[in-house]
Amino acid sequence: MGSRGANMLISRANRMKTKLQSVLEATTIELEDVSHQHAGHAAVKPNNVETHFNLKIVSPKFSGHTLVKRHRMVYDALADELQSGLHALSIVAKTPQEEEAASHR
Amino acid sequence: MASISLSPLQTSPSLRVLSSYTPQTAPNLSFYSHSKPSIPFPSTSLKPYTPIIPRSRSRSRSRSLIVPAAVKKISETDLVAVPLTAEEFSQKLPSESGVYAVYDKNDDLQFIGISRNVGASVFSHLKSVPDLCSSVKVGIVDEPDKESLTQAWKSWMEEHIKTTGKVPPGNQSGNATWIRQPPKKKSDLRLTPGRHVQLTVPLEELIGKLVKESQVVAFIKGSRNAPLCGFSQRVIGILETQGIDYESVDVLDEEYNYGLRETLKKYSNWPTFPQIFVNGELIGGCDILTSMHEKGELAGLLKK
Repeated sequence: MGSRGANMLISRANRMKTKLQSVLEATTIELEDVSHQHAGHAAVKPNNVETHFNLKIVSPKFSGHTLVKRHRMVYDALADELQSGLHALSIVAKTPQEEEAASHR
Repeated sequence: MASISLSPLQTSPSLRVLSSYTPQTAPNLSFYSHSKPSIPFPSTSLKPYTPIIPRSRSRSRSRSLIVPAAVKKISETDLVAVPLTAEEFSQKLPSESGVYAVYDKNDDLQFIGISRNVGASVFSHLKSVPDLCSSVKVGIVDEPDKESLTQAWKSWMEEHIKTTGKVPPGNQSGNATWIRQPPKKKSDLRLTPGRHVQLTVPLEELIGKLVKESQVVAFIKGSRNAPLCGFSQRVIGILETQGIDYESVDVLDEEYNYGLRETLKKYSNWPTFPQIFVNGELIGGCDILTSMHEKGELAGLLKK
């Protein structure tokens, strides 16, 4: 693992959180590494960790945007990670208002 | 056995001798038009003789030629007009197992079938071929295992063939009017003729053409019959449950869709798969489709 350079010293999950935080001003970020569920998956190389994540993100910046646009905003923020081995991201993207409404149900 | 049954649905088992059955008179023994399983029901009919065939024996191939038929002859069964509404159906036709014969308006026998739910089967025939469903004869089979149903069907077929010298048109081989055909599974689309064939148009254009020409296109990993990724599988599942007519493209097909993954990511500005396009527009991946499905938004989207 050490051969991959200093970048690997900080986990991908942490980098993702930082990026989402700064770009999308997220109020909530829940990131779950589910790579183990995809072990043996065709696209997952052996020893490749942190490839699959579940993400729940709440950001005021999503307001007025469709789901496609919101997912694109997340993907754009994480473009570098997607280039470097992040394989799949299951995204729940909400605005603070929607999150509020959902919690009162 | 002197009682005259007013209801055509009542059965009085009689002993019949079946001559050895030649396959020629039974082309394509296809008669299950509707395989809705029903719970075996308590019989209410008179039973002067109960044809009990031990299960083990009835399933074995070597059985005696003398087989008690569980149903009356067709000629002894009353013809009932086919009801036109679902409510009438439940009143007039039994939702039980048995053999049935469908007649057209000239009282010509069109089809003999067996079913685990006669009423439902006749109803589905009425929906698909209303012109041929004018009236029906029904013989309920008391112990509706496959064997006795088949026996009942054979006895009616044989009687009809003996009387008229003809196989009912609907039972002739190659006639697909009455038998529900297994739904034809579409196959995945291929974007190129092969990896080593030089494309005359860029792959982007092929993608654009495809998503604009088909209302719904799912780019998935693996084939639609055997998706290789859980997300693709869920997408296929949703599209199938919604009864959506869609095209699928396997992005892992390195022979016929070579280079598609990278090109599609750029085309759609979307980094992951599956990707679902509706009317030429990317609607998203598995998460978005799932969310739309749960909110009931899919049907509306597809009507546009």
